[in-house]
Amino acid sequence: MTKWGMVIDLEKCTGCQACTTACAMENNRLPGENWQDVLFYHEGTYPNVNLSWLPRPCMHCENPSCVAVCPTKATWKTEDGVVLVDWNKCIGCKYCMIACPYGVRFYMDEKATIEPDTRAAFPGDGTRSWNPPYRMPDAMEDPSKGIGIQPHGVVSKCTFCYHKISKAPKGVADLDEANPATREHTPACVRTCAPKARYFGDLDNPESRVSQLIADKGGVRLKEETGNKPQVYYLSGGGAPVVPGQRSNKKA
Amino acid sequence: MDDQNLSTTRRRFLQTTGATGALAATATTVGLPLGDDTAQAQGAASGATKITKSICHQCPARCGIDVYTTNGRVHAIYGSPNHPIANGKLCPKGPLGIYVLYDPDRWKSPMKRTNPKKGRNEDPKFVPISWDEALQTVADRLNTLRDKGESHRFSLCFGRGWGASCAGLLGTFGDLYGSPNVPIGHSSMCSDGSILSKQCTDGNASYSAYDYRNCNYLLMFGASFLEAFRPYNNNMQVWGYIRGEKTPKTRVTAVDVHLNTTLAAADRGLLIKPGTDGALALAIAHVILTEGLWERSFVGDFKDGVNRFKAGQTVDPASFEEKWVKGLAEWWNIELKDRTPKWAEGITSIREHNILATAREFGSTRPAIALFERGAHAHSNGIMNGMAIHTLNALVGSLYAKGGLMYQMGPSYGAMPVDEKAYMDDYAQNGAWKKQPRIDLKGHVDGYLLAKNMLQEVGPNHLKGKPYKLDTVMFYLTNPIFTAPNGQQWEEALKDVFVIDTSPFPSETGHFADLILPDHTYLERLQDAPTYPFQGWPMAQLRVPAIKPLYDTKYFGDTLIEIGKRIKGKTGEYYKALGNTENVIRHLAKGFEKDPGDNGVNSFESWVEQGVWYKKPYLWQQIGGDFFEWDGKAYAKPMSADDVKAKLFKTPSGKFEIRSGYLEKNIDWVAEKTGRDKARLMFPVWEEPKHPGGGDLYLVSPKTAMHAEGRGANIPMAIAHQQPVVGGRKQVFVEINPVTAKARGISDGDVVKIKSAAGQIEVRCRLYEGTRPDTLVLPMEYGHWAGGRWSKNVFGGHCGHATVNQSDRVTGQCNYYTTKVTVERA
Amino acid sequence: MTTAQATFKPGLHLAVAAVGLIIAAGYAFSQLAGAGHASFNTTNLGVVWGLPVVVYDYFLLTSTGLVLVASLSLVFGLRDFDPLVERCIRLAIAGLVGGVAVLFLELGHPFRALLTAPFALQTASPLFWKILCVGAYTVVLVLLALDLSGRGTVGVGRRTLGIAATALALLVTLIAGSVYGMMAMRPFWFGGETPVAFLIESFIGGIAFTVFFTYLAYGFSDAGMPAGLKALLGGPLAKLHAAVIALHLMFVLGRAITGLWSNAEGLQVWQYITAQPLFYVGLLGGTVLPLILMAMPSTRTRASAQIVAALLVMIGLLISRYEFIIGGQQVPMFKGSWASGLVHYAPSPTEWALLVVAVALANVVYALAERWSSSRNG
Repeated sequence: MTKWGMVIDLEKCTGCQACTTACAMENNRLPGENWQDVLFYHEGTYPNVNLSWLPRPCMHCENPSCVAVCPTKATWKTEDGVVLVDWNKCIGCKYCMIACPYGVRFYMDEKATIEPDTRAAFPGDGTRSWNPPYRMPDAMEDPSKGIGIQPHGVVSKCTFCYHKISKAPKGVADLDEANPATREHTPACVRTCAPKARYFGDLDNPESRVSQLIADKGGVRLKEETGNKPQVYYLSGGGAPVVPGQRSNKKA
Repeated sequence: MDDQNLSTTRRRFLQTTGATGALAATATTVGLPLGDDTAQAQGAASGATKITKSICHQCPARCGIDVYTTNGRVHAIYGSPNHPIANGKLCPKGPLGIYVLYDPDRWKSPMKRTNPKKGRNEDPKFVPISWDEALQTVADRLNTLRDKGESHRFSLCFGRGWGASCAGLLGTFGDLYGSPNVPIGHSSMCSDGSILSKQCTDGNASYSAYDYRNCNYLLMFGASFLEAFRPYNNNMQVWGYIRGEKTPKTRVTAVDVHLNTTLAAADRGLLIKPGTDGALALAIAHVILTEGLWERSFVGDFKDGVNRFKAGQTVDPASFEEKWVKGLAEWWNIELKDRTPKWAEGITSIREHNILATAREFGSTRPAIALFERGAHAHSNGIMNGMAIHTLNALVGSLYAKGGLMYQMGPSYGAMPVDEKAYMDDYAQNGAWKKQPRIDLKGHVDGYLLAKNMLQEVGPNHLKGKPYKLDTVMFYLTNPIFTAPNGQQWEEALKDVFVIDTSPFPSETGHFADLILPDHTYLERLQDAPTYPFQGWPMAQLRVPAIKPLYDTKYFGDTLIEIGKRIKGKTGEYYKALGNTENVIRHLAKGFEKDPGDNGVNSFESWVEQGVWYKKPYLWQQIGGDFFEWDGKAYAKPMSADDVKAKLFKTPSGKFEIRSGYLEKNIDWVAEKTGRDKARLMFPVWEEPKHPGGGDLYLVSPKTAMHAEGRGANIPMAIAHQQPVVGGRKQVFVEINPVTAKARGISDGDVVKIKSAAGQIEVRCRLYEGTRPDTLVLPMEYGHWAGGRWSKNVFGGHCGHATVNQSDRVTGQCNYYTTKVTVERA
Repeated sequence: MTTAQATFKPGLHLAVAAVGLIIAAGYAFSQLAGAGHASFNTTNLGVVWGLPVVVYDYFLLTSTGLVLVASLSLVFGLRDFDPLVERCIRLAIAGLVGGVAVLFLELGHPFRALLTAPFALQTASPLFWKILCVGAYTVVLVLLALDLSGRGTVGVGRRTLGIAATALALLVTLIAGSVYGMMAMRPFWFGGETPVAFLIESFIGGIAFTVFFTYLAYGFSDAGMPAGLKALLGGPLAKLHAAVIALHLMFVLGRAITGLWSNAEGLQVWQYITAQPLFYVGLLGGTVLPLILMAMPSTRTRASAQIVAALLVMIGLLISRYEFIIGGQQVPMFKGSWASGLVHYAPSPTEWALLVVAVALANVVYALAERWSSSRNG
């Protein structure tokens, strides 16, 4: 069975945020409400300051705490390992936002990060909460998977561009933008990443690039102590600063 | 720089025809994910998705883009996989181009000002008018001026020109109509300091092209390689390769005044005192010489092979046999011998051991590139800093070498449909305008004799009436009220002149306009664009409209042609013969018939389909101190010294001139205007920069990855990601070192007042340990008071209002990063 | 009832509450109709559960606490507590209505929640159990109230209903605590003691509301109060109150000191909270002072002291609930420099209005129930 996963090479990442904006446009996000974000940190004292950054999509955990806490099963995990929100079932209780250790979920009806509100500039048409002229083609929208214009009163999150990856040829190991056969099925953030810091593929397939990279370059996952077992791995340049938890080695 | 690739240079083959025709938009239709089985019916019902080849417009880089359009809606932009710069990738601005198209604040038709009073707080009271009325209004003014013999009082200023079908038309317009002020480019407000530094040393008035992929050491002064340096998208592709895949991994040292992502990602980040980059370069050169690390095959050597470069000691110039450089030993004697790392520590504040380590790495790793842009040379001593840094490339033999740097070739464009020379009437050839200086005093002894442009002087000079007052000024892709230093002067200047703006968007300059002739946004345009300096080999891209224009707008090139048609006499005839920009572009494409691109582009139609024509390889290479030309299979054809002089080192000596012949030629003027020593001014020497403004802290205003050239100011998605390093998203923060802040009672998040002789602004601050204690860093982007709804709503003043208008007298480079200011809590 | 009833003006109580409700609900609805939940000061940056959730939990736990007080008589047969039962159950219903109403205004799709959540059978989610139990609890409470009023019975007996209500109240309280306590990714909340702390808080809340509303019924005076009731309020109930406040105080101090000591990411919010005056208002005013009032024999028998202590506890618990729920969200999770330091939150006017809505609505319900019960008697 396919288990989609991502590898992000922090040695190559330049912190440019193209993943963020490509995702935002592909998925009609509101400004600043980023399914995919690049987070910046700095510490130290002049002139010895460490500036670092971390691209952070949804981790699409193997043991997703968001799925566990959702009282209506609106948040669910697909057979191919992707965590989605069914906007037709979501009641907007936001418990999943509380329970997500990675802060990657977004309620629709918050104050606009950037004023004036983009939603007011492109007001809804009765069926949509807002209606930007650049919204994705109607045929791609699928509220049962949290794809499209996010409706009022529900929570959204990164779908791994499920509208793209779910149409990929069966059995492929990698969804790689360099391969014309899989380019249109590659998640927007991976596809646009200029330094090629992102890889996407089947974690259960030993032939996949992601599987190889995790093995060769010591892929690590964030917040192993939560036991959520992310399907997004980071390459930090060889050394693994995170000690894998006992549970993380066991099959789900 | 903008016009360097615009004309039809390097015509490998020339051909003249006169065919015109409608654009056959042969965009490709592809199977998208929604195009299979169950979705097939839906897909058909909702319309197929069309991919149009275009190029991005948000920075100069010209990345090829695939524009996705379904049901008449543009909904996605990705990098073109078949485009050599984009390679399927984009920077963060690329996908946001859709916002530019659908910006609700766009001009929707030509507009006429009805409030004669101009000012920041005056509502222009624009009313829509027809194109015919708009164009005729302009033509009437221009005809009247020409009839009075005052055609020089019409100026057309442009910023980001793209190709032969827009900015490339401007020079001809100036020649036919008769104005030295058509066009005035913005290069002095861009990075002319770099161009002049190269012209003075290797004879090429151009930015460099770089072979990063084969380079093993990068030494970067300013430039913000991972934020703003073009082609940003490709830089990042390069970065991923040289830092994550290439063996050996390329080592990087980056120099700047604050810790940005480039410095953070580099192996070594050096935080330098503003304006002192030249001192660092001199010290590095000093170490390269004293430690014998220079590339002997390129530079030459002491005749007996014994290194006599010892700190503080002169050498006999006759004992050193120079190969491709001129003036090395003289330079050593009058300058370099004393420029030790210890000396440089005192100037730059960078620790001696760091300078020494950098110099040794740079000097001993081949190939190595030293690159620099505005941070290093936007100071009164800019030419010196630039020459010093560029000379490092000569010392390690990187010029025209594999993994080194070179200059960009132009595309094999066909000839223009009409030859302008046949349309030069007597006025054009001998009119009174010929004797008039340019309004910006570029090329004038009283102004900036050696500069390429002096756009920043147009406003102030008009205000003073020196050399004269303009009557009418037209702007294409530039907004000098906002972008010029001390733009307050421009606000005054544009009050008593007829202003025409061609931007698709409202802006500060547009706020002072009498006429708005709105351009298409870029996804609506058919527009050519030869590459900006990239990897040397020629390339020309095409913007193909992804969608019909949403509003009653007109491509600037056609606006100009339509105005031209309405000019009396032969000028009008020329433009009638020229027809329109599509005709121009079709003729440009004729050049590809005889010189097909590597991707098979050999016609207008195939150019539209592919979006790009390019032809590898670069034709010349320096290998081990010898120059070779490409013979079709390899760099095997040896080049004579004359060949090198004609094609590569276009200096009086045909060598890389550390002793600049170009400066020597103008030695009296330079000495008079700068007070520099005639014995030294032709060499890269250290000179303390002059910092105007009257404060105690340097104000530096870099570009962020989201900014580039400011065309995203009204994109809410760009605003939300503007300054990620310190979390500036609804506003841009001024970065202040905590020590500096504490001494002034400033806390994190306070609104602070920044003052200089130019003016004062208020912005919110963020304390950041990564910024030098003697420097304030305020990214240039916000403080808009006219413009779109989002741009105006961002809190904080504009750095330009506290930036003094000072320029490097030699290069004309606007000194954006040199003003000294004070800061206090507001 | 007694002559003391003369001083109680249920009509006035109802009128004041109704006016408050109309004003607060009118304002809140106008804001919600215009800006929707954007009229809240919650953000996706961190604080996603704001004051309305605090209000909901506060009222829910008050409701269950009141049932626990009633259980002393209904389940455990402590006859001294008999006079409180009916009021407790009425108040429990009123509080439940007030809280749930606010929750409905907070949820994105409240009616969808009502229809789908009970049948989704997401047994891993404490919220699923909470919704299920609150539903059952509501039904049992209504049945119990009917039974107590003598207007209807389901024939299972009052004691059975009482046991069921008490069991459900316990469950609801413990599950409400688990909603937070299970969140291992939020150390500020995480831990098995959290449901227990909720239970204690619920119980003191129940006592405080019982005392306050009993006195309200007697015009804030014990003059007309039956001797038994008076003895209860100044005797066993006050002692019990003191004991539970003391327990609560230990929990609060224990959590705060542990949190201040620990280096664990997420607990630094304790430094922030303990630097705010609100914390000391809650700790000293809302906990220590009522504890003293109820612990000292000289004061606990005094009506005024009992009323003041009850009021202080009611406010203190709201502060405590606020600091607990908001504090647990103030450390931003994976927001980097976008969130500089802790996420700051202060309720918006709309959110404050929802607190007033809950208070007013609960009082309206309670006053109506009082009227209803007097009409039965009258």
